[in-house]
Amino acid sequence: MSLQVLIFSLLACVSILGALGVVIARNPVHSAIGLVLSFLNVAAIYLIARAEFLAVVQVIVYAGAVIVLVVFVTMLVHPDDLPEFHGRRPLRIVTGLVLGVALLLEVAAAVLTRSLSGAPGPWTDEAVAAVGGNTQALGQTLYSDYMLAIQLTALLLLAATIGAIVLARPEAVSERVAAARRTLTISLAHPRGLDQPERPPALPRPSDGQVKPAGSGRPIVLARSANEFTEQPAWGEWRTP
Amino acid sequence: MDWQRLLVSYFVGFVLLNVLLGLMAYMTWFERRVLARMQHRVGPNRTGPFGLLQPIADGIKLLAKEDIVPANADRLVFLVAPLLSFALAPLGAAVIPFGESLHLFGLEIPLLVADINVAVLYVLALGSIGVYGIILGGYASGNRYSLLGALRSTAQVISYELVLGLSLVGVFILAGSFSLQDILREQQRVLVIGPLTLPNWYILSQPLAFALFLIAAVAETNRAPFDLPEAETELVAGYFTEYSGFRFSFYFLAEYINMIVVSLLAGTLFVGGIDGPFADGVWWLALKALFFLFFYVWLRATLPRFRYDQLMGLAWKVLLPLALLNIGLTGLVRLWGIGAL
Repeated sequence: MSLQVLIFSLLACVSILGALGVVIARNPVHSAIGLVLSFLNVAAIYLIARAEFLAVVQVIVYAGAVIVLVVFVTMLVHPDDLPEFHGRRPLRIVTGLVLGVALLLEVAAAVLTRSLSGAPGPWTDEAVAAVGGNTQALGQTLYSDYMLAIQLTALLLLAATIGAIVLARPEAVSERVAAARRTLTISLAHPRGLDQPERPPALPRPSDGQVKPAGSGRPIVLARSANEFTEQPAWGEWRTP
Repeated sequence: MDWQRLLVSYFVGFVLLNVLLGLMAYMTWFERRVLARMQHRVGPNRTGPFGLLQPIADGIKLLAKEDIVPANADRLVFLVAPLLSFALAPLGAAVIPFGESLHLFGLEIPLLVADINVAVLYVLALGSIGVYGIILGGYASGNRYSLLGALRSTAQVISYELVLGLSLVGVFILAGSFSLQDILREQQRVLVIGPLTLPNWYILSQPLAFALFLIAAVAETNRAPFDLPEAETELVAGYFTEYSGFRFSFYFLAEYINMIVVSLLAGTLFVGGIDGPFADGVWWLALKALFFLFFYVWLRATLPRFRYDQLMGLAWKVLLPLALLNIGLTGLVRLWGIGAL
């Protein structure tokens, strides 16, 4: 057994263990960690296959961006609030099992019927070396033979971006105008700028407090408890009587 | 498999790791001294001559402190998260070329640990994995300040990583490669414009990309004025609020090592790395990295911290469009052959 096979087996085992951890872990953040572990090991397997670009992109896109977003959301939800992690619903378990076995069979069928050593393509070792490496070869193939697919993917992503913006758009027209103004404003100053309503409403006076005029017209507000101020913004205009 | 070369690589990596750790310790001393000068203070000057033993004293202090785990922490994740941050930090230095190969005892010793053909992407990937140290540490502390610090940090690092990556695309287009060796080789050529003979450093052909890279790199390493995750006035200490002793020092070490690695990377990508007048060599790279490290301290002493929405607005509304503009312009120049000077 060569060293490469040994390393591959190790990576594959850890990857499968990580994937198992995703399913078994009771805490969603632990599941996400398992998924990252699995993805990293898959990236390492790509490295063994000399697909350096694919490996790095796998880490940047899947481990670095997609899972971070998942962790982001799950971190803010307490695990007890997720019924899926506690109630063992039999229908779900059966459905998951059936789908999992179906997928496994599909993959097995694909592996068994199609031999992995197919007909060699145009990219021989010499051809790859001639363009300067497999990353360059990948780029040339993608942007010539698969130009249509690349552009369709770009279009799909653009549509998704526009869709997200439309979904997040406020309903009321006045709020939309305010949001549009905010988009074009780069606020580097006091927040009471373009993105605020014209005149902030006068804040209520503290119910039981006293207002004493201090030195240069700024009032000193004495209140019985600090809670009176918690609902109020940190800035705003105090109107002296 | 070539065992000899593998062993030599490990040896170079070991030396590099130790040099980085030593540099990191003295980076804290450098920062405190320079910051003190800028603020009309003296800085650490009691421990050894010029306070030079201060980092060692700090290290002993941190190692001797109690390692506290909060009662409602996610124990295993809490213990592992700082190790993750610390272990990933020095890996970026593995792809930085420190010079031509040395010949010692009949062996060829390359002055870089690994020459991989996607070196720059590898460094970016390390950055995106490094986020987990922060986000998991903040989550596992079981503390709202930590969680908020971790969320902020993650959002910030993801946004600025995009800018960082896109700002480098111009360099990739000009060099035609992701490999730092190739990028360096391109920069060692000479650029002749009329009577002027200039080095072909990418700071000259990609000034916009350089500025974007510098801003994004400061944000990526969570340093002032982008140190929102640890904004002590509002979040106590951000994601490492609950950490103490040597686990805290792991986060601290990781931050400084990241600074050093980013400075080395900036020096290699934009100002020619080991290329310089008189004689090429590692000293030029060290000098350039030192300038960038000084720049970090300078920024910290000069600029106040950004407000959070300003920080995200800056990344998405200003830096990202500028980076895309830079890619478009560079692509057009390359396409029309003006870049083939």
